[in-house]
Amino acid sequence: MTTLVVRRDAATEKFFDGTARGELLIRHCTACGAHAAPQFEACPACQEPTAAWVPAAGTATVISWTAIHGRPGDDAPAPQRVVALVELAEGPWLYAALNGLRAGERPWPGMSVNVAFEHPEGGEAIPVFLPAA
Amino acid sequence: MTDMGKIYGRSPAGFAADAVRRAADDAGLALADLDGLLTSSGVLGGVGLDLQKDLGLKDLRLLSEVQAYGSTAGAMVQYASMAVRSGLAEAVACVFADAPLKEKTSSGAAYARAAGASGWRGLMAAAGIMGANPLYALAARRHMDTYGTTSEQLAHIAVAQRAWAATNPRAQLRDPITVDDHQASRMIAEPFHLLDCCLVTNGGIAVIVTTAERAAHLRRPPVHLLGWAQSHPGYPMHQGSDFGLVSGAAQAGPAALKMAGVSLGDVDVAELYDCYTFTVLLTLEDYGFCAKGEGGSFAASGALAPGGSLPVNTGGGQLSSYYMWGMTPLSEAVLQARGEAGERQVPRHDVVLVSGNGGILDHHSTLVLSPHPHA
Repeated sequence: MTTLVVRRDAATEKFFDGTARGELLIRHCTACGAHAAPQFEACPACQEPTAAWVPAAGTATVISWTAIHGRPGDDAPAPQRVVALVELAEGPWLYAALNGLRAGERPWPGMSVNVAFEHPEGGEAIPVFLPAA
Repeated sequence: MTDMGKIYGRSPAGFAADAVRRAADDAGLALADLDGLLTSSGVLGGVGLDLQKDLGLKDLRLLSEVQAYGSTAGAMVQYASMAVRSGLAEAVACVFADAPLKEKTSSGAAYARAAGASGWRGLMAAAGIMGANPLYALAARRHMDTYGTTSEQLAHIAVAQRAWAATNPRAQLRDPITVDDHQASRMIAEPFHLLDCCLVTNGGIAVIVTTAERAAHLRRPPVHLLGWAQSHPGYPMHQGSDFGLVSGAAQAGPAALKMAGVSLGDVDVAELYDCYTFTVLLTLEDYGFCAKGEGGSFAASGALAPGGSLPVNTGGGQLSSYYMWGMTPLSEAVLQARGEAGERQVPRHDVVLVSGNGGILDHHSTLVLSPHPHA
């Protein structure tokens, strides 16, 4: 599956520095200790205005999933890609591609997955998830 | 409301101006009688404060653009009502218009954005998420896994609404469909088939909000606003989130009914925001028409269809009639409350419940309408 080229902006600079190193950075509130998804600049648990960045362990479980179907080609079946809503071991949720499934195979809620990184030419490194071995 | 559907060569602002003119004329008001204007457009924008000048409205006492995505129509009516009650303005037009369809392009392309993928939005796009389909699909799948809801149960919602659309001359899709047709329709984002998803429509709809005293002397039977509420859950993207299981309807519905002084059992007809079949199912549960998790069997019972115990989306909704955000359920609710819905008019229409839903189940508005003033 080709991964889209994504560029960083001011809000995502640190996050993509992390993915380049092979780290999935999430937010950690130094005031209350809560973890939050990376896009939260303030702590959603205690409203502390600045949350620090910490690397997530990279293990997660599937909360929900969908398979997006493209249009079929003349001689080709419709392409499908599986997208999951995952819950990291630390608690935050992320949307990410779920790769490494056999054709037609589908995930299930509670399925264990691990983060991996794709490095599309000319873009930032992107976190994806793979079934845990 | 303007003509709806594949009407090309007109801008959202053009549809909006046409809709306001038609609404004023319907009410028996001159444009100059309007002293308030609230505007709203689809995701591509195009209806803003300039609409005042397009309409030649002078000395407005209220003018604003409102944005709460699919809950905007209900929210506009609420703000207009508060403005009228407070004396800020006396006759407020609330308008939505959109023109995403272009000639010779597909409906799917209508809302496609330029692929300038950067930042958090870019990260979503890289995951494969462009537009609302996959996000509502994730919500629906979670509901299925939690409560056993099935695609066939969702199909019953599409089938019931198409049956209602059959007698709505404004509906874009009127040919009857079956559960099998739904199951055979192209897969979009599992679990959603094509027939789980709303239409794309060009057009505009306006309503005018004024005092009950003034409305009593206008051309059309007035529709009274008995109750309202909003709810914006702020899902935390974290363990414990109710995403896909409970929406803002769970708070807004009971609050609006309480304000109206009516109970759920008094509701004669419900016009529910239906960007997807699943949105209807979740709203029915959250409003309390059935127990949590039983929306699927409730829909499959035939309750929502013509002749059923709870008429829902009697014009065909966004799935079959026209997609005008929250103006789709609101416009049908007004027609039903007035008793002007023609062949599809429900016999009892004393209490009409209307929902709006925006974002990915992030924003909810509820209105309770009636042909009768507050008891």
